[in-house]
Amino acid sequence: MKTTSALSPHLIEEIKALPARYPQPRSAVMPALDLAQEELGYLTPEAMTEVATALSLDAGYVEGVATFYTLFHLEPIGKHRFYMCTNLSCTLRGAEEIVEHLRDAIGVQEAGEVSEDGLFSYEEVECMGACEYAPMCRVDHRYHYDLTNEKVDQLVAEKRHPAFPPAQARVASPEHVLVTPLPDPARKAATRMGPTDLPPRGGGDASEAAPPKKRAPRKKKADG
Amino acid sequence: MAERSVSPNLNALARQRGTVGGPVLTEWFAKPDLHTLDVYESLGGYSALRKVVTTMTAQQVIDEVKVSGLRGRGGADFPTAMKWSFVPKDHPGPKYIVVNADESEPGSAKDRYLMENSPHALIEGAAIASFAIGGHQAWIYIRGEYDLPYEMLRDAIAEAHAKGYLGDHPFNTDHALDVRLYRGHGAYICGEETALLESLEGKRAQPRSRPPFPALKGAWGMPTAVNNVETLSTVPWIMRNGGAAYASRGTEKAKGTRMVTVSGDVQKPGNYEIEIGVTYRDIIEGLAGGMFPGRKLKVFWPGGSSAKVLPASMLDTSTDLDGLKALGTMGGSGGIIVMDDSHCVVKAAARLLRFYAHESCGKCTPCRVGTNWSVRTYERILANEGSQLELGILERVSDGLQNGRCLCGLGDAAGWVIESTMRHFHDEYEDHCLRHTCNVGKALAHA
Repeated sequence: MKTTSALSPHLIEEIKALPARYPQPRSAVMPALDLAQEELGYLTPEAMTEVATALSLDAGYVEGVATFYTLFHLEPIGKHRFYMCTNLSCTLRGAEEIVEHLRDAIGVQEAGEVSEDGLFSYEEVECMGACEYAPMCRVDHRYHYDLTNEKVDQLVAEKRHPAFPPAQARVASPEHVLVTPLPDPARKAATRMGPTDLPPRGGGDASEAAPPKKRAPRKKKADG
Repeated sequence: MAERSVSPNLNALARQRGTVGGPVLTEWFAKPDLHTLDVYESLGGYSALRKVVTTMTAQQVIDEVKVSGLRGRGGADFPTAMKWSFVPKDHPGPKYIVVNADESEPGSAKDRYLMENSPHALIEGAAIASFAIGGHQAWIYIRGEYDLPYEMLRDAIAEAHAKGYLGDHPFNTDHALDVRLYRGHGAYICGEETALLESLEGKRAQPRSRPPFPALKGAWGMPTAVNNVETLSTVPWIMRNGGAAYASRGTEKAKGTRMVTVSGDVQKPGNYEIEIGVTYRDIIEGLAGGMFPGRKLKVFWPGGSSAKVLPASMLDTSTDLDGLKALGTMGGSGGIIVMDDSHCVVKAAARLLRFYAHESCGKCTPCRVGTNWSVRTYERILANEGSQLELGILERVSDGLQNGRCLCGLGDAAGWVIESTMRHFHDEYEDHCLRHTCNVGKALAHA
């Protein structure tokens, strides 16, 4: 974890330069909080006070803005944070099960808890606007689609060991930046559905579809 | 699988209906590298902006859009040309176009899809709109979760500046045009235009009371028109092909094409461009591939989670916006959520109410209290602690949330979820409240 004491001098300068970009200086408050959060990982009271001072705003006002928006964090979070969509479209496609699997995969009990190694935390968030690829999540500024337990595992492994081959070409791959990525036909398998008694999903050839995924029993914590 | 990334079967559908014409918004989406200015321009991109700034007056632009009959695609369905004409022409200070790219309606993903595929179309549309209201700056308020669309728009704007299509002298004329980006930070309420403006000004996103309307006193106190991504992305096509060409599409009253996002229990979820007037059967069973084998359609949300639900028996409802209004629901933001008979309506409604309670900004009491009250009621019901009392509470709270008791539509939307699911699926509510059982849940392995 980086230091949580205060903002670096060059960041303060950067924040002071922000108001000039907007018709009125107050608009700089969210971009400024963004920079502070990027540096510290989350917004400490000291950081918010320093942002307020740099923008000549009241500290309470800045905190008021920070507490309103979901993407500002006022508590420590993992280095890699999973924003898991659990709104209706994703839930219909088994998001709750995916979240449960993620909890096991990163070793936390509940949303907001940081894993022991400080690497991971997750949050259940509302619709992130990729409903056609439900269930989906956002990790480190990128969306990940059509989640299955396997994809979650791979994603976690990838973040744990950065040399691990990327789970999805979409991540920072220029040719996938162009259009919404083409889904893999194999994804039509029933793996991402909540109920396990469903027939294989997807168009046409049932023989190609993978068998419905059995849900792994939730692991008991070894140390209680 | 290409049909999910390009507009699928619109032509086929249009032919079925005897309508001539191909896709509008997704016209070029099959072209690789459409997000680059070179490709976009080689197909005819920026010719509309060029025509507008070099040969037309602001009034002519508004008139052309008026002919097209284009209406706002963010959910409110307000005529775009009229919105622009409300912005005073003689205002001495700055005037703004604000682009609502804070798409957060559950079930709706079309704006993301449009921006990721064709960022220049939005930029061109926003620049044309700025010209039409006599303004110089368009601000795109994009939700913070949309990292990729943000980066693509940022790069596209830089490209347009480098080419001289934006800046102090676009196409060597003297009407300065600029498009700027502002990132949201996760608040559904920012989809409401005055809340969005508050947020853009660096405040907590709480809706303003109107009047004054944004057209007179909007962003930073200046006259402002707030338009949706899809609306503005349509504008370049209209300026290239003429308003009449657009007006010849769709139905008599609801002109043109629009995007829908189909999600939930369908075989081919995706973003599709449709001719307005096709039925939900065309979309759900045709484009989206229908239900999974052995499953039956139970209910669908025709325009995002805030639109009142329609049961399976109403699948032949037209996407005609006025027809939907007559039914008491709406085409909304085009997010069609489909639910089959393996899912419980009460649980779905409970999930959505949790969403509205979380996103209620807290300014108006009926919404702040009503959404949380209904969440607690649903919790009791799902914990098998419900009774006739809970049914009565839901009915009363739903009524209390609706009918314009709040500054914005969030409270109404929450009320509609309760009311419409209770109206069409009262038996499921009774099962939960009176008999403490879920007959749907029994079919589910994890219930």
